[in-house]
Amino acid sequence: MRSQNEFSYGGDASVKRPLLNKEVSDQEWDNFVYNRKSLRGKHLELWQHISGCRQWIKVERDTSTHEIFRTFKADEEVA
Amino acid sequence: MQKYSVFNLIKNALSNHEKWDLAWKDPSPKKEYDVVIIGGGGHGLATAYYLAKEHNITNVAIIEKGWIGGGNVGRNTTIIRSNYMYDDNGLFSEFGMDLWRRMSQDLNYNVMFSPRGIINLAHSDAQMNVYARRGNSMRLNGIDAVLLNREQVKEIIPMADFSENVRFPIFGGLMQPSAGTARHDAVAWGYARQADSMGVDIIQNCEVTGFDVSAGKINGVRTSRGDIKAKKIGLCVAGSTNILAEKLNMTLPIETHLLQACVSEPVKPVLDNVVTFGAGHFYISQSDKGEMVMGGDLDGYNSYAQRGNLPTLQHVLTEGIAMMPFLSKLKMLRTWGGIMDMSMDGSPIIDKTHIEGLYLNCGWCYGGFKATPASGWTFAHTIAQDRVHELNAGYSLNRFNTGHLIDEKGLGTKTWIS
Amino acid sequence: MTQNFRLKNGGLINRDKKLSFKFNGKSYFGFEGDTLASALLANGVHLVGRSFKYHRPRGFFGAGVDEPYAIVQLYRNGETEPNIKATEQELFDGLEAKSVNCWPSVNFDIGAINNFLKIFLPAGFYYKTFMWPKSFWYRVYEPFIRKAAGLGVASTKHDKERYEHKYDYCDLLITGSGPSGLASAYAAAKNGAKVILAEDKPRFGGTLLTSDVNIGNQSGKDWSESIISELKEMPNVTVKNRSQIFGYYDHNMLVMSEKVSDHLPKTKKYHPNKRLWYIRAKEVLISSGSIERPIVFGNNDTPGVMLSSAAKEYLKVYGVLVGKKPLVFTNNDSGYETAIEFKKNGVDPVVLDTRKNPNSEIVDEARDLGIDIKYSYVVVAAKGYKKVKSADIASISEDKRQLGKIERFKCDCICVSGFWTPTIHLASQSGNKTQFKDEIDAFVPGKSKQNETTLGAANGIFSLEQTLKTSFEAGNELSKKITKTDKKISVPNVVEKKSSQHDKFWCVPLPKGKNYKRFLDFQNDVAVSDIEIALREGYRSIEHVKRYTTLGMATDQGKTSNLNGLQLVSEIENKVVPSVGHTTFRPPYTPVSIGAIVGREVGKHSKPTRKSPMHLWHEKHNAVFVDAGVWLRPRYYKNGDESLFEASKREAKNVRSNVGVCDVTTLGKIDVKGPDAAEFLNRVYTNAWLKLPVGKARYGVMLREDGIVMDDGTTTRISENHYHMTTTTAQAANVLSHLEYYLQLVWPELNVNVVSTTEQWAGAAIAGPKSRDLLQKLFPKIDVSNEGLPFMGFIEGDLFGIKARIFRISFSGELAYEVNVESDNGNFMWEKIIEVGQEFKIQPYGTEALSTLRIEMGHVAGSELDGRTIPYDNGLDGLISKKKDFIGKRSLQRSAFTAEDRQRIVGVVPLDKQTSIPEGSHLVKDDKAKLPNPKLGHISASCWSVEYDNPFSLAIMKDGKNMIGQKLFAMSPLKNKVIPVEIVSSHYVDPKGERVRS
Repeated sequence: MRSQNEFSYGGDASVKRPLLNKEVSDQEWDNFVYNRKSLRGKHLELWQHISGCRQWIKVERDTSTHEIFRTFKADEEVA
Repeated sequence: MQKYSVFNLIKNALSNHEKWDLAWKDPSPKKEYDVVIIGGGGHGLATAYYLAKEHNITNVAIIEKGWIGGGNVGRNTTIIRSNYMYDDNGLFSEFGMDLWRRMSQDLNYNVMFSPRGIINLAHSDAQMNVYARRGNSMRLNGIDAVLLNREQVKEIIPMADFSENVRFPIFGGLMQPSAGTARHDAVAWGYARQADSMGVDIIQNCEVTGFDVSAGKINGVRTSRGDIKAKKIGLCVAGSTNILAEKLNMTLPIETHLLQACVSEPVKPVLDNVVTFGAGHFYISQSDKGEMVMGGDLDGYNSYAQRGNLPTLQHVLTEGIAMMPFLSKLKMLRTWGGIMDMSMDGSPIIDKTHIEGLYLNCGWCYGGFKATPASGWTFAHTIAQDRVHELNAGYSLNRFNTGHLIDEKGLGTKTWIS
Repeated sequence: MTQNFRLKNGGLINRDKKLSFKFNGKSYFGFEGDTLASALLANGVHLVGRSFKYHRPRGFFGAGVDEPYAIVQLYRNGETEPNIKATEQELFDGLEAKSVNCWPSVNFDIGAINNFLKIFLPAGFYYKTFMWPKSFWYRVYEPFIRKAAGLGVASTKHDKERYEHKYDYCDLLITGSGPSGLASAYAAAKNGAKVILAEDKPRFGGTLLTSDVNIGNQSGKDWSESIISELKEMPNVTVKNRSQIFGYYDHNMLVMSEKVSDHLPKTKKYHPNKRLWYIRAKEVLISSGSIERPIVFGNNDTPGVMLSSAAKEYLKVYGVLVGKKPLVFTNNDSGYETAIEFKKNGVDPVVLDTRKNPNSEIVDEARDLGIDIKYSYVVVAAKGYKKVKSADIASISEDKRQLGKIERFKCDCICVSGFWTPTIHLASQSGNKTQFKDEIDAFVPGKSKQNETTLGAANGIFSLEQTLKTSFEAGNELSKKITKTDKKISVPNVVEKKSSQHDKFWCVPLPKGKNYKRFLDFQNDVAVSDIEIALREGYRSIEHVKRYTTLGMATDQGKTSNLNGLQLVSEIENKVVPSVGHTTFRPPYTPVSIGAIVGREVGKHSKPTRKSPMHLWHEKHNAVFVDAGVWLRPRYYKNGDESLFEASKREAKNVRSNVGVCDVTTLGKIDVKGPDAAEFLNRVYTNAWLKLPVGKARYGVMLREDGIVMDDGTTTRISENHYHMTTTTAQAANVLSHLEYYLQLVWPELNVNVVSTTEQWAGAAIAGPKSRDLLQKLFPKIDVSNEGLPFMGFIEGDLFGIKARIFRISFSGELAYEVNVESDNGNFMWEKIIEVGQEFKIQPYGTEALSTLRIEMGHVAGSELDGRTIPYDNGLDGLISKKKDFIGKRSLQRSAFTAEDRQRIVGVVPLDKQTSIPEGSHLVKDDKAKLPNPKLGHISASCWSVEYDNPFSLAIMKDGKNMIGQKLFAMSPLKNKVIPVEIVSSHYVDPKGERVRS
């Protein structure tokens, strides 16, 4: 178990950046840049091991209990 | 309604305090209202009050999941200020300052507004310049602001660290003398009592479970105490905005985060002003009870837990001691957390929505308490007139689409970095 | 003074060591092992302080952490600390303490006038008055209230004490060394588990120190001592006294405050005052016991009224009699234990039991000892102002509503027992949803939330036999799972007296015609009548009641008052207690020193300090430093008594006319390597990067996805797949993280690696018309001509035997180079540059001169790239590629960003060419317009142009593109300045950029 202090938060991991050079609507772009579900309960989010190996990871955490269910590597698809 | 006064206090004392009226009633919901305000926090209560007082709309219900005043209005650090750089924020907040100054009399409830002044400390010339930009903007907007040099700051708060053994020396500060504090619970209760007296139904322990929307129009709300019809519904639920937005199939530029605060044991008066640390995010004031009221950073990850973790508090208190070393010998008495609507540019949203009859008041970040009267006043106007007032025109939902952002701190969308 | 109330024998104090101390200026003696409270009581001192609101006399109520009112100002080793509980402060020689919240003295306190006005000061009275006239609240009423409130006095001196942090892991953390703590620790330790056992008091054993029980043929106390000494010997066990677990956080992280030095006259050398432990435990056993709760009756705050368990503890642990004519008032068997102790020590107590005919071993024992017991009796009110002198007592009817005839009973103390409240704070902090247990009229933990198990009295189990049995079991079971060892411990034989049912009675009714204050919260002066008012006025939620009356909000956080408050609310509201619910338990369990929470990061160490390898040279040469984030950079080099203005002007001038050298080590540096590096940079920066040749540098701007400029800097192609990126000092860490984000999460297909090299390189910028001549002397073998090393060129060279990188880049706008060497050689490089540069009149220059140089050239920096501007605003729109996509490009299409009158950078010159424009001023059309006066833009940076010898500023202003030539006003109301100005181009000097290419 590592201390929270070693990590830095990176926000909602379910947000997908639109592909480069692809035409996107205002709505799609705003959904990527600004709009967030941010609900109570399970939340898939990004953390970076900033004072360690510098890897970004995905973490499935409960936003009301802080319980951590699963973690994923940066390039791992979350089922 | 019974008027609160010193004479009435004496009169009631002589009858053993057995004849005080209810501050507000506890009615069951009616089938239908003209306006339903969701959220019995400061903003919701103020909105109902101004709907009744300014717009003569009294067939209003406030529905609250728990007990009124239990959200951020009851768990903030009570700071009231209008020291903003951008016009949208500055003019809106200064309008609010006027309402604060007469609130106790308006509500006939002592909310203990005290203009004890707020000082933002600066720790470099560059920071003094940034403050000057903000302070000059305030002055040009008719808001009081004073730029203090190191000696002037020392005169006001000699207990801050002016020694050699300091990492970030104090260069000076920006002060808004008319800023201050108020008794947070009293604000909620004062608005509730007056709103109730004008006919507003305050319905507690009533949770929203869904909405009745058809053909792009709102018809009512479903609650744990039955369905309630309403022509207009105002959403005023900072901290739960995303949860209710989901029930409306809306996704908003808001994330939900936790902000912790703490108080020390009470001590005799030592600090009269509100002071913020410029080399971090610490702020402090002393309550009338004598407790040092302290706060700082967000916990830094999306959270609905009204409880925080110690590393953040440790970090905040480290900055506290860096600013005022005497805090070291005091003891931390109580800690708590509040759930914040963090908007993507740090400024709030008070607007109509794409659903007819549905109005949105959210995204207050950690500045919601001071905005209570102005938010209630403008939100009531927006609901009553079905159009925004010029004071809240900047707080539109579509500014994220147009790029008319109001980003006081320049931090952008990483809402968790405070 | 003699210790009149100290028994001849007995107690666990060390009678061989007499300690002297002072209270309110008067000298007393106590013994080693005393608390301040026990020592004062031994001397017959009961009056300690005054209450918060009514300033009523207050004494001792408990004997430990639950104490609501024995609060003093402590003086120790030349320092003072407010709000120390006398019941927790161990006595040391030379201790001094004073009463708080009273003036002029605790005996005669002016504030006590409130006690006579109390009928006018019910709960919430301040919400109903002090509103007229309007300005009087802040000016008159509030200052008065503030002065009257607030217990002790905070010293504003710097704290000389040191505080440490310690991090530890264990299999089982056990929070309290009473019977359940000892038994579970012992069982777990025997299974080989790593155990930490924490006890907040100086002595281990908890209730075993005061209970009349027998375990395995030893007294409870002896048994606890033998267990503790065995545990102390075991290598897998850490036993800590004076250590309070005060917070239960997520993922089984608990925090403990260890008082290392508070019991000593002064902190030992190399010792901290306190040590804060962060403990991550696999399992937590909560063995925090229970706290006796009072029965509420009239004037129950009078000094001399105290918990019966406290009276017993003073007797058994400290050999102190809290009174010589005690009255015990109880609704359960516990009161009898205290009575029996009194009796055994030659003092005759009288017991009032609210029960009609209790039947248990201990009642029989008391009766057999000849103790006077009155059944179905209650204390109606305590009598006496500063000390109990007598009590009004009466019989009570079976339904507990009717009082019999009031009798006056002479006594000097009243020991109260209203049964026991489990200490569930930690379980509740952990997230455990507590549940109400009817048999004990209190809450106990429900289903565990984290890995926590609550044992013994904390779990509502008051039988010792059952406590030991379940605790041995829990310790064994939980440790067995971790260590895979199962050494069953046989539970020792227990002899204890069986208890009978307590009486569900907690508040004595008022006799007719009497208006006694019956206190619930002693420190905050919250009485039964206050709760009644709150409910009458509609403050019905328990949170409303708490906030309106301040019940449970004092420094004891309601340890003895919350449950009685709940009982009252549920009775009046006609609800059951669990449906009223309790208010939330939050850390800390008991107040914790802020110094301990912060630890060592104080003073200069509150944040790290970073210095360049040339720092010592700068220091030696009179550099005045400026904080740049955590870095220290030379702001200017002071020559004699020069001012900042004079020095920076001299330094900047020298750059424009000769050559200067500036330490640029603090710039962020990132190595970008890999076959796809060019493609990556092309996506990160707004301009094109695919065709940059090896040996060339390029300036780039990167955006956030919302279109706002994130950072700028030059990146150099060192070799085919290797780029050297520079960032601003402020954004270095953010940029690295930003790049890693895109490489790992968005474009993992790109074969690129990034790593920070900021610390690897020391950098010196050599700038000025003579910089080429200097460079040639430093690198004689290199062709440094404009053809050999053109603008934005890069070459590696040999600097007196050291490998160096030379970049021809310029921030000052002059012909300039940046030389990088490995950090270890930084100082060597710097000294060589200074030495060789002498013939070219080289001078070092600091950040202030650097600012001047960049401002008059119109180069943007942090004050323009402030997280709110897009490339266009900074005149950087020429760097936006139309052909390719990049981070943030889509956002630039937004209407506010493409508006015709969008803000843009301009230059500003005062019309008088004399008056400097303060940074942070705003540009307005009409300086006399009524407020709010529309602002057109703000001054982002100002300098004294050394080129033209007049002030020059940069501004970001609305429609800046079309404003050149306009005459406006720069206003700084903060500095009382209105300066007529003209708007000019932001490129004030060398607008075509010829110098950098020369």
